[in-house]
Amino acid sequence: MKIIIRLYLLLFCLLTTVTGCSQVTGDGSTCADCHQGLELVSENHQECISCHNGDPEEPNEKASHQSMYGPKNPADPKYWDKTCGKCHPYQLDRVRANLMYTNTGMIKNTQATWEGEDGTLYATRQEKIPTATGELLELKSVAELDNLAGELYRKTCSLCHIGVDSNQVWRGSHASGCGACHFPYNDNATYQGDDLTVKGKWPHSASHKMEKLPDNKVCVRCHNRSGRIALSYEGRNDGNNSLVPTRNGEPGPDIISGVRNVTRIQPDIHHEKGLECIDCHTSRDIMGDGYAYENMYQQTEISCEDCHGSVLSPPRTEQINRENDEVLRESAHYKRRMQQGDSMVLTTKNRKYSNVFLEDEKIWVQGKRSGKLHESKVITGTPEHSIVGHERMECYSCHSRTVVQCYGCHTEYDQRELANDYIKGKKTPGKFTETEDYRMIYPFPLALNQREKISPVTPGCQTFVSVIDPQGEKVLDEYITLFKGRQQLRFAPFFGHNTGTKAIGCGECHANPAFLGFGQHVVEGDNIESTLICEKSEEKPLDGFITMNDGEVKAFSAITRENSRPFMTAEIKKIIAVNLCLVCHDDPKDPIYQKELDYNVLDNCLQRSDSALQ
Amino acid sequence: MFWTIVFSVLILLCSESSVIAATASASIQLEGVHAKLICSDCHGGDASLTPQPSSLGVRASGCTGCHQGYDQIFDQAMTTRRAEKQFVKQTFGSIDSDFYANNCSSCHVSDCLDCHGGNGHKIKSATQEECLSCHKGYFVGREYLGWAPREDHPRYQRGSEHLGEKTLKMRPDIHAELGMECKDCHSMQSLIAGKKAAQTCEECHQPDPAVIEHSIAAHMDKMECYACHSAWAPQEYGSFYLRLGENNRAAEEAFKTPSLEGEYLVRAYLRKQDVPPLGLNSQQRYSPIRPQFITYYSDLRGESPPKIENRLLGAEWKAFFPHTIRTGTVMCDNCHDDRRRYLLEDPEDRLYRIDLDGLGLMSFWNQQGQTIRHGSFISPQQFLQIKKKDAPYTKAYIKRWKNLLGHDESSLKE
Repeated sequence: MKIIIRLYLLLFCLLTTVTGCSQVTGDGSTCADCHQGLELVSENHQECISCHNGDPEEPNEKASHQSMYGPKNPADPKYWDKTCGKCHPYQLDRVRANLMYTNTGMIKNTQATWEGEDGTLYATRQEKIPTATGELLELKSVAELDNLAGELYRKTCSLCHIGVDSNQVWRGSHASGCGACHFPYNDNATYQGDDLTVKGKWPHSASHKMEKLPDNKVCVRCHNRSGRIALSYEGRNDGNNSLVPTRNGEPGPDIISGVRNVTRIQPDIHHEKGLECIDCHTSRDIMGDGYAYENMYQQTEISCEDCHGSVLSPPRTEQINRENDEVLRESAHYKRRMQQGDSMVLTTKNRKYSNVFLEDEKIWVQGKRSGKLHESKVITGTPEHSIVGHERMECYSCHSRTVVQCYGCHTEYDQRELANDYIKGKKTPGKFTETEDYRMIYPFPLALNQREKISPVTPGCQTFVSVIDPQGEKVLDEYITLFKGRQQLRFAPFFGHNTGTKAIGCGECHANPAFLGFGQHVVEGDNIESTLICEKSEEKPLDGFITMNDGEVKAFSAITRENSRPFMTAEIKKIIAVNLCLVCHDDPKDPIYQKELDYNVLDNCLQRSDSALQ
Repeated sequence: MFWTIVFSVLILLCSESSVIAATASASIQLEGVHAKLICSDCHGGDASLTPQPSSLGVRASGCTGCHQGYDQIFDQAMTTRRAEKQFVKQTFGSIDSDFYANNCSSCHVSDCLDCHGGNGHKIKSATQEECLSCHKGYFVGREYLGWAPREDHPRYQRGSEHLGEKTLKMRPDIHAELGMECKDCHSMQSLIAGKKAAQTCEECHQPDPAVIEHSIAAHMDKMECYACHSAWAPQEYGSFYLRLGENNRAAEEAFKTPSLEGEYLVRAYLRKQDVPPLGLNSQQRYSPIRPQFITYYSDLRGESPPKIENRLLGAEWKAFFPHTIRTGTVMCDNCHDDRRRYLLEDPEDRLYRIDLDGLGLMSFWNQQGQTIRHGSFISPQQFLQIKKKDAPYTKAYIKRWKNLLGHDESSLKE
């Protein structure tokens, strides 16, 4: 008898483990009576009140809904510790520290570039989060940042942070909290599922089924502005924006938020091969790793070298040898679930990818949603990647097909008009409007980034600020804000997410000073004269940040981020001097580039060609 | 009886108009260099017969008495607009027979006064502003002052406004910087003779053989000076003529445009302001070329979806002279190592995928499906010659880069 009872108990435990909770839709709860046809969240999320609360026995709609969380979105930060976080505390703790939620990086950089620095770090809400080094970081609520930087963040940038429900942006709306990615909105935030009581209603997720592994559409809802990486990745470009070619008589070819039309450019090679955002970006990149960071490049743990190797070392791997390894859990929903003993590739932070592994001496990337296996080419030891001096370069300096560059951002803040403050949740005086000068995707300038590596840079930003006070007086007119104590425009190191297998050619870069930051130009002697020029100065390029007069190089814009800077005169001259070699030695695999170049040798070459001519 | 009435009325009319003319002459004050003339000098004995003595209608008979031969201006391009008419006929001929009359005819010289002050009694020397009132937008002229057209969307329509157009600030032509105006090169004599300018570059400038590029015979033999010395040029890739019809407010709103004057909204797919591509002009010399125009037509006047949408009417290029002269030039590789500049872009090097947007061409920078008026594109074989790096090229190339390095190699050492 005892054995039978034990068996029953075991069976009961097993059943509750499998179904997660006890009530099943359609089991007689009043929720199910009305919401017929509503999709199950997942096989593990079967009944309603664990997430939604409410009264499952009350037949009256109003009374039944009264105690619901939301009532629409129980994953909203207001409730998420009682709902999603109750079962998934590890994930919730990470998301709480995540930059996509705190926006600490965006706010900090807005402060730095809009004269709003006050020695304090802010977040969308007041938070105390541990950093990777163990200290507790105190973040004040950005509602308290009482200056133009705070206003700009709250009235524009903040609409994309995942703590807020954004439901009025065509093709750019998202729910708040976990729902932002796991219960995606459709183009106009209306429910399209089979529950007729909600069908067509706004704002709701497109379906009640949870998206375990969100697709690119989810990412593009936010990452279509500023760096526009989700657009570039898929080969889409919102520059120029003339609303042509038309589609069915309407502006076209494809319209996204803000009446911007998107035209086609060559996509990123990874997209061409079928990789999605989440195939490269780990869950820790996207949801955070539990630590507070001040910039996204600190939270991001992946790099090209992880899968493709560096010049000196191939991708690093580590075997799964513990039964609680995160990879085993994370890969549970992949077509091929990873196993104990599999050799997983490591990120720059020495954590395992859940979908990149070594097998048969090859590196494989598994599409998390597709299950498709992609071989990743390893470049270690190849001569074209062993060029002396190029160890200072980010892979994407040569392998970017294009890099989006928005030149001249003219922002007006008019205090006579009201605008939505998405953090305070109300309209307040002060409305931002923006115009732009020129958009480019190629060529793109290079400078040193925070790792002191050579990287593409893009305006970040060339902001010219005008402020109109409540009386209508223009108190600031096309003002250039102070950055690091000086009135200067800024460029930011940037990976444009438009990678190609074919690199920018040696001469293409070395022989075109636009890549060094001079902008489009003509050359006379040792003078480089820009042709697209700043409205405020005849001498300075709009599409660059350095000038050369009589051989003297001067930088007039800053590169944001610590340790970043434009090239110095000596570096520029060395880069240019390589042309003296390249004219004959145009193969990147040429052995002369495998050791440091001796620039004196060039004179000998020249003399030799002289004698050859005679 | 009937004829008596008609005759009387005619007499009455004639006598009245002569009264008006006499009155007017009494009150009119002439200004400028013609101030001392009398009415009949321009209007002839009977002013009523030549009320507009400077017009095309009378071939400026009132002016040619002194300015002999100047009526030949009416036989030249600014009046005849032959090239434009031909282009419109080829592209829009079968679609909209009134296209030229409705959209192009306002820029056409039909009177001496069009350029000379606008008032026949205050005739002035032609000003630069008068030239630029037609030579605007995409047409050669305004770039001389460093004004480039901006992208069409309101987001880009900002900055200083010149002669009614928002402009992007570019480096002006060096001649403009030195105070020269249009007429300093484009004299009246040259215009009536149907010549583009009074003198060629070489008539004012002796190319200095010490300049590396000038020392290369092929450059001097085969290239226009401005193939190198035009520093930039407005280039319009994909000109979309959206025929919205009259007063189509809904469409105007959708396309974010102020009310149209005619039926058409013109939108460029992409504008660039960098160094333009190169081709051969009618003299078989290397010259800058640009699209003029890669034309698309959409009829959005009613039916949805429209019957004609984004139809490619022609992809035509033209050799031209961007008035953006600088003493400096781009570096060697820019011409000798860039296939795009000759519209020889390889399909795998495409950045813009206009084929995927349904533009009917594989690339703006590939000759396939495109033509050039009065000139020719550079063939792949010719490009191989351009790309060839022989000893003289190498020598000149190194010298040019050494010039940029300022001969100071000590700075190369750590």
